[in-house]
Amino acid sequence: MDRNQTYRNRKRALNAVHFVALFITMAIICIPGLWIVLNSFRPTVEIMAKPPVWTPSFTLEHYRNMFGGAGEGGVPVFSYFRNSLIVSVVSTTIAILIGMSGGYAFARYRFPGKAGYFVGLMLFRAVPGVALSLPLFIVFARVGIIDTHFGLILAYVAMNVPFTIWLTDGFFRQIPKELHEAAEIDGCTRWQAFWRVEFPVARSGVASAAIFAFLTSWNEFALASQLTRSVGSKTMPVGLLDFTAEFTINWGGMCALAVLMIIPALVLTFLVQKHLIAGLTFGGVKG
Amino acid sequence: MTEVNLSNVIKDYGKTRAVHGIDLGIEDGEFVVLVGPSGCGKSTTLRMIAGLEDISGGEIAIGGRVVNDLPPRERNISMVFQNYALYPHMTVRENLGFSLKIAKADQTAITKAVDEAAGILGLRDLMDRKPAELSGGQRQRVAMGRAIVRSPDVFLFDEPLSNLDAKLRTQMRVEIKKLHQKVGNTIVYVTHDQVEAMTLADRIVLMRDGHIVQVGTPLELFNTPVNTFAATFIGSPPMNLIDGVVSGSNTINLAGGLSVPVPSRVRGLVRDGQKVCFGFRADNLMPVGHSVEEEGEKHELELTISLTEPLGTETLLFTDVAGNEVQAKMLNPRPVRPGETMKFQLMLDKCHVFDAASSEAIRG
Amino acid sequence: MTRRRLPEWFVLLLPAIVVIAAVVLIPLVFSLYSSFTPYKLTRPATLWKWVGTYNYEKILSDGKFWAAFGRTVLFLTIVLNLELLLGLGIALMMNKVTWGQRSLRTILMFPMMFSPILVGFQFKFIFNDNIGLVNNVLQSMGYNAALPWLVDGKLAMFSIIFAEVWMSTPVFAILILAGLFAMPRDPLEAAKVDGCTPIQTFRHITLPFLMPFIYIAMTIRSLDVARAYDIVQIMTGGGPARRTELLWTLMSRTGYVDSRMGLANAMGYVSIILSILFTIYFFRKLSAARAQIGMAG
Repeated sequence: MDRNQTYRNRKRALNAVHFVALFITMAIICIPGLWIVLNSFRPTVEIMAKPPVWTPSFTLEHYRNMFGGAGEGGVPVFSYFRNSLIVSVVSTTIAILIGMSGGYAFARYRFPGKAGYFVGLMLFRAVPGVALSLPLFIVFARVGIIDTHFGLILAYVAMNVPFTIWLTDGFFRQIPKELHEAAEIDGCTRWQAFWRVEFPVARSGVASAAIFAFLTSWNEFALASQLTRSVGSKTMPVGLLDFTAEFTINWGGMCALAVLMIIPALVLTFLVQKHLIAGLTFGGVKG
Repeated sequence: MTEVNLSNVIKDYGKTRAVHGIDLGIEDGEFVVLVGPSGCGKSTTLRMIAGLEDISGGEIAIGGRVVNDLPPRERNISMVFQNYALYPHMTVRENLGFSLKIAKADQTAITKAVDEAAGILGLRDLMDRKPAELSGGQRQRVAMGRAIVRSPDVFLFDEPLSNLDAKLRTQMRVEIKKLHQKVGNTIVYVTHDQVEAMTLADRIVLMRDGHIVQVGTPLELFNTPVNTFAATFIGSPPMNLIDGVVSGSNTINLAGGLSVPVPSRVRGLVRDGQKVCFGFRADNLMPVGHSVEEEGEKHELELTISLTEPLGTETLLFTDVAGNEVQAKMLNPRPVRPGETMKFQLMLDKCHVFDAASSEAIRG
Repeated sequence: MTRRRLPEWFVLLLPAIVVIAAVVLIPLVFSLYSSFTPYKLTRPATLWKWVGTYNYEKILSDGKFWAAFGRTVLFLTIVLNLELLLGLGIALMMNKVTWGQRSLRTILMFPMMFSPILVGFQFKFIFNDNIGLVNNVLQSMGYNAALPWLVDGKLAMFSIIFAEVWMSTPVFAILILAGLFAMPRDPLEAAKVDGCTPIQTFRHITLPFLMPFIYIAMTIRSLDVARAYDIVQIMTGGGPARRTELLWTLMSRTGYVDSRMGLANAMGYVSIILSILFTIYFFRKLSAARAQIGMAG
């Protein structure tokens, strides 16, 4: 057998292994999510069936309960959705404005202790949510903003600012500084140069930073579970707990709420995936 | 009248001084090129004129008005950047019109100015493209167009051609020169390429280490360099320099055992035993029979060729004098083999003598 | 001319500093103080009683705390290494794919958009001993004893690690993949021609280039390792019998269930220091790796 043949066979074998491994990986990634979606459409009896039923039947029961049951002791999904939306959108907007200004400072100015400031800000992000929730709970209770949208928004802004700075710093750094110099020579003030030139150029990057911040707020649990108490301020991740009772869990209903939670996240991430990766790596590698 | 005046302009970056008190007067409509090796402070100087860098000391005046602390937008200048700095999210048309739009000019005036600039630079077919869809030369042209549209008092160019390939660079050089002839504004142009400086400038400002070395017309710098740095920086190939010692009042003994007479121009200005640097350009060392017939003081030398570089109309001959590479030029060339010994004539009255210690030119 | 004003960079950074100081720093100072008191939520007066380092001495001599602490460090070590290895593997596989790479990459990002708490519920469901997907499949394949995934200590730890790895591996995979895309082709080809085997090429060319990207991923991950709290809280709540108790679940139980805020805050400080050490460690590594491949800005 000549050596060419050996190498050719080896290549074929490797290709096969590659394909199988990739397939298994993708399956492991997809199946848990699909299982949730699938079960949101299965009747409870079937979910609970022993031995398991493998041929799925279809029902909208859980969705009907979820949307219809509000107010009659069911889970007030609409309120949770609204709370989540308000808190996430407002906190994201504020975090982006503050973070963008900070990121711009890091990208464009030289100042003493810059690396120190940067790492310092990041370290605040590293404070575990649970550990922060204890004192924050007490402080917010004293100030009287516990169980309000405002309190949660404030907490999320602080949580999102460091990472927004990291991302926007990366995006602004990609823009050559000559661009705002050219704009200034063309007659802009620094402020005009930013809004008319640098911001539009970095727009897609800023958008992905915004979506990242949005997802963090949208998905956050550790803080929200302590800082919100009532229907008026609980967000969806906290709302998921409503489906659990002492010993039983309404799996179908929970799956339905999970699907409701995941859809916006899915759409948004899909929109910005490319910029997101670019932002993360630029901020880090060129930092 | 828009002359630009720099008096004792200083720039410090922390403790290091990048520009050491520069004095320079640029006349209205003059094309001045700042040239020098990288890090010589030329770009910093330009950026101080533009207002992109604060000045640490001294005074800059544009059109008689001191602009030390004015932001760039109040200096009525325009600038072409090395990497063009076109606004990537705007079309060519928007790029060109941006400055007027910021100045809140009315739409018809903008359209007119943009159209005129586009006409001058041949951009009319590209008006709706974005910078990403343009070639390097086209981007360069848009950058220049953007500068023209403002009809500024002073144009500033910061190494505008260094991102272009050699052929395009030659072509754009001509266009910049034409542009200057057409609009006639004052231009301050920064480059590290002495060819650009020679071809474009009315006046060259040669800089090194934050100091001005020499100011003059291209020919002045070429013919009468003030020191060895100017001699080697300006002109291609660079001037040949050989160390030597003056012996008596009429002879310089060069390293490697050669000796040449002291050119009559500097006779009496050198003293016996003085260490000097003897300099001449390749054009002034030519093989006998392949040279320009020219009157003047001459001296004949025999040198052995180590390498040849035929260029067609002429051939560059490389010889070795005590470890110094010396270049000579051969007109009407014939094939020359390395190792061949040839008789050369040196045009003594075009030679330069520099003091070895100060490297300043000794001149009568 | 000197203008005595706040420098622009400071003005730009100020809002960020103010917000973080107000919402993170002040509570942290407060919690530092309260960690020196026997503060109980139910008895507010206890906040003013200074007990010095009593709480710290107490937790440092508490076997349960040390068990949770050790388990947390072990958990993080296993999880981060596993995520890195799997992420690297997935990235290398994805890099070889010639068709549909974009869609595969999108699929890869799915777990990143799941809320950690959702991941917890999801795997609580899947690993449920009675109706979970895993046991259902095992049963249908003829294996009849229902495995107590979340009830047995070892299996529960496995399930939690599985969930955590499922959620976070894509961060590594995506960033390493970005690194592979950014990698110049020439050195790879030169190595091939110079006679390197694929493994040698990977070891000496690819891996050094990827290191900064790996550390970015590590840094980003280390910023919120505590996300695992959500998962553990939901899947086992630290049970069974504290077999999956991590620092964070212990802290939250001490604080919210037992209302012993002072003690919980002392634990909180230990966890904060742990997180910060992780983060600083990877930041250091990141800048070292950056310098090594000459990308420092």
